[in-house]
Amino acid sequence: MSNKPHYDRTHHAKMATGIGDPQCFKGQAGKARFKEGDRVRIKDLPDLFYTRTMTYTRGAVGTIVRLVYESPAAEDEAFGNEDHSEWFYSIVFPQKELWPEYSDSFANDTVETEIPERYLESA
Amino acid sequence: MSSSTREEVLRHLNTVGQLQPALHKQTHAPAPTEIDHTLFRAYTRTPHDVGGEPDVPIVYHEKEEEVWELNTFATCECLAWRGVWTAEERRRKQNVDVGQTAYLGMPYYGRWLMTAARILVDKQYCTLTELHNKIVELRARAKSGQGLGEYLPAKAK
Repeated sequence: MSNKPHYDRTHHAKMATGIGDPQCFKGQAGKARFKEGDRVRIKDLPDLFYTRTMTYTRGAVGTIVRLVYESPAAEDEAFGNEDHSEWFYSIVFPQKELWPEYSDSFANDTVETEIPERYLESA
Repeated sequence: MSSSTREEVLRHLNTVGQLQPALHKQTHAPAPTEIDHTLFRAYTRTPHDVGGEPDVPIVYHEKEEEVWELNTFATCECLAWRGVWTAEERRRKQNVDVGQTAYLGMPYYGRWLMTAARILVDKQYCTLTELHNKIVELRARAKSGQGLGEYLPAKAK
């Protein structure tokens, strides 16, 4: 008999089948710490091994426009850890906030992206 | 924009833009003291996070997917349906774990295909010895003129 560690390869499928992902994590993140309209600054957390929070957003201030879904953060899900879900927020940044050299001719340009709650602090 | 975090982030983006994929003919292993915080962060960053890195313009080629690329995509999706990996695990392995040189230097679906093999070894669906033996077997079969099965020409579908 094999003495290999047993990995349940269907553990994620068991959660998501017939429901969808991220819908299968709905209700698992608890109360959201932020709400639509809040201004938040993106924390410059470690990016060792994996992250999907773009470097260019870190330290910048944006406005929450939507609570999008609950899901494990990419840092966990990328290694098969789905035990802890958190809220994801859709956040709008002025381009001028992200890029110092951005042209004043397009001062109203924005970027909208989704970032998990762990990266947010009130601004 | 004057916060120390923003200064660090913008310096970081400029530093990683200077790290170019290279084929080194000799190593230049640095002493630990030669790696300051700025350089450490540049080396350990996730190479898929290219937004804001200075780079030169590249030519945009209009190109249809080739048959092997579509088959690679289907294979990787089957691995997801059977629960072998989630999309996030796949992205981590094919975009980050490969390192910057391979991330920028290998074809897009080449990284998908390498990663499909890698996950099977990493999660012990097959051993690396079994994979290597299969490669040897298929090389021999191809060399003998028997072919590998259906011939899939490397051209657009």
